[in-house]
Amino acid sequence: MSVAAPSASRRWPLRIVVLGYLAALVGLPVVYLFVKAFSSGFGAFWHEVSQPGSVGALELSAKIAAVVVPVNTIVGVAAALLLARRRFVGRRFLDLTFDVPIAVSPIIVGVALFFAYAERIGWFGPWLLHRGIMVIFSPLGIALASMAVSLPYVLRSVLPVLIEVGEVQESAARTLGAGPWRRFFTITLPAIRWGVLYGVTLTLARTLGEFGAVLIVSGNIQGKTQTLPIYIYDAWDQNYDALASYAGAVVLALISITALVVLSILRGRERKLHVNIA
Amino acid sequence: MSISLDRVTKRFGVAFGVEDVTAEIPSGALTAILGPSGAGKSTLLRLIGGLLTPDAGRISIDGEDVTDVDPRHRNIGFCFQSYAPFRHMTVAKNVGYGLRARKRPRAEIAARVTEMLELVRLSDLANRYPAQLSGGELQRMALARALAIEPRVLLLDEPFGALDAQVRGELRTWIKELHDQIHVTTVLVTHDQNEAMEVADCLLVLNDGRIEQAGTPTELYDRPVSEFVLRFLGPSTTFEGTSVRPHDLVVVPAGGGTPAAVTEVATLGFEIRVSLRLDDGTSIWVQSSRAEYDALGVSVGDRVGVQRRPGVSSHLVPPAAAAPTEPDGAPVFGVDEQRPGERGVIDAANLTGRQS
Repeated sequence: MSVAAPSASRRWPLRIVVLGYLAALVGLPVVYLFVKAFSSGFGAFWHEVSQPGSVGALELSAKIAAVVVPVNTIVGVAAALLLARRRFVGRRFLDLTFDVPIAVSPIIVGVALFFAYAERIGWFGPWLLHRGIMVIFSPLGIALASMAVSLPYVLRSVLPVLIEVGEVQESAARTLGAGPWRRFFTITLPAIRWGVLYGVTLTLARTLGEFGAVLIVSGNIQGKTQTLPIYIYDAWDQNYDALASYAGAVVLALISITALVVLSILRGRERKLHVNIA
Repeated sequence: MSISLDRVTKRFGVAFGVEDVTAEIPSGALTAILGPSGAGKSTLLRLIGGLLTPDAGRISIDGEDVTDVDPRHRNIGFCFQSYAPFRHMTVAKNVGYGLRARKRPRAEIAARVTEMLELVRLSDLANRYPAQLSGGELQRMALARALAIEPRVLLLDEPFGALDAQVRGELRTWIKELHDQIHVTTVLVTHDQNEAMEVADCLLVLNDGRIEQAGTPTELYDRPVSEFVLRFLGPSTTFEGTSVRPHDLVVVPAGGGTPAAVTEVATLGFEIRVSLRLDDGTSIWVQSSRAEYDALGVSVGDRVGVQRRPGVSSHLVPPAAAAPTEPDGAPVFGVDEQRPGERGVIDAANLTGRQS
């Protein structure tokens, strides 16, 4: 309790370094982006945002996220339970496999998916096409690419919490007559809920923001397979429409920042409610 | 609700397993599984509770074979060493958990929770969270939670292990009183022989995964079937080549008994511990009362004699004579062809004290 605070002369240099670093990497670029997006007034910004291309991209991104986040959350929690609670052959291998999609460049993920599922040259492409399923250059491919690049986030946020809380509460619930589902929903899930929410936030941010892997498999068909990041890139690179690109970027950034703020507010409230819950 | 273990085996490789354990745990009694760490005590408890499945052997509760029954259908109350509180639930919610899992009506749950909290004297803390409770309070909460479902048997894993000495003593007395009140068949695991002797009606001494001996505390203390039990269940010293209780020896004036010299005298209130060196060089110690020691009037350096106290009951009993045999000749206490004391059978009728 009585650890002496470092003197002001020693505190300030450290603060300046940290704040300067954050300003250079996060603060200034974001501020610049917002300034640019609103440089011609809110009306112009809104006009860009409400363009059919922009709205369509946002819609697609939202739909993709609505599929990817729940699926990856369920898979991530299930994988975490498996890795934390069971011993089996290939456990280490499974553990590592989950990290592969984020360890390699997203472009590689995209190219690999392309070769696996492309309709003519892919391994499974022709077989799937025969059954009327087109993966590459379709929203399905975008969903797969997004799932791949955000695969480990829930697992990595949940696994340490699961290991830390241990199995004893679940065992106690079991002796008290609770079945597996009741144990999961009344004991395990409440114990890991912050880890899950954190993982969900990261998954959402990554899914909405993914560019490289999605670009390869989407084919960039305007109004059909253009997600928000691709729309921003397209506006910037192809149409030389800087304002459209700034406006799209602001929308994307606001969604992710909102998610992070909501998470931190929820966490603060939880601490206040159960002050002593470790 | 008696518990029968029939040749139960569970192996883990190094330690903590149990090997061919056969025992009968009497209905309504408080039985302590006692042994050094690694002896397999907790393993045995977990096997009874169903948290582990035996490699071989059968377990039955009140005549029903439960070996393959999931713990959630065994109707047992299990208290974990760490108390396993549900951290995100209030004390009341914790206590009512088992009833909610059984889908009892809300009013019944509320009434039962109130009753249980009164029983364990936690009514004032009903709306607290586990993190706001002391170790003793957590232990009581865990007991209330286990008892709320009206279990057939109550299983306690090292119930006092993590508490400080004073709370431990209080809780020990309290558990004994509680057991007198509700009479549920209770099995507790402990490594502390004093605790076991004080609390339990029956003891099951485990060593290296096997039952050394089973019986009432008095029987095991007075008629241990092995060196291990004798040494584990109280003070011991070696005299004439065998282990004996130091209070079963007596110091006599020089000329009587085996000649020895007094090397040290320790006064522990009423009790006196006299350390002696026999003429062959071996050291022993004798426990005597203060009056007895004062009457003898010896001090350090004096030459004396040592002999067995006349008419004492406590001595190592060869397995075959360890206990009276039943009319049909079957031994009441476990005697096995290969290994004495392996089978632990406690006869409820032989229980002394408050059970009878």
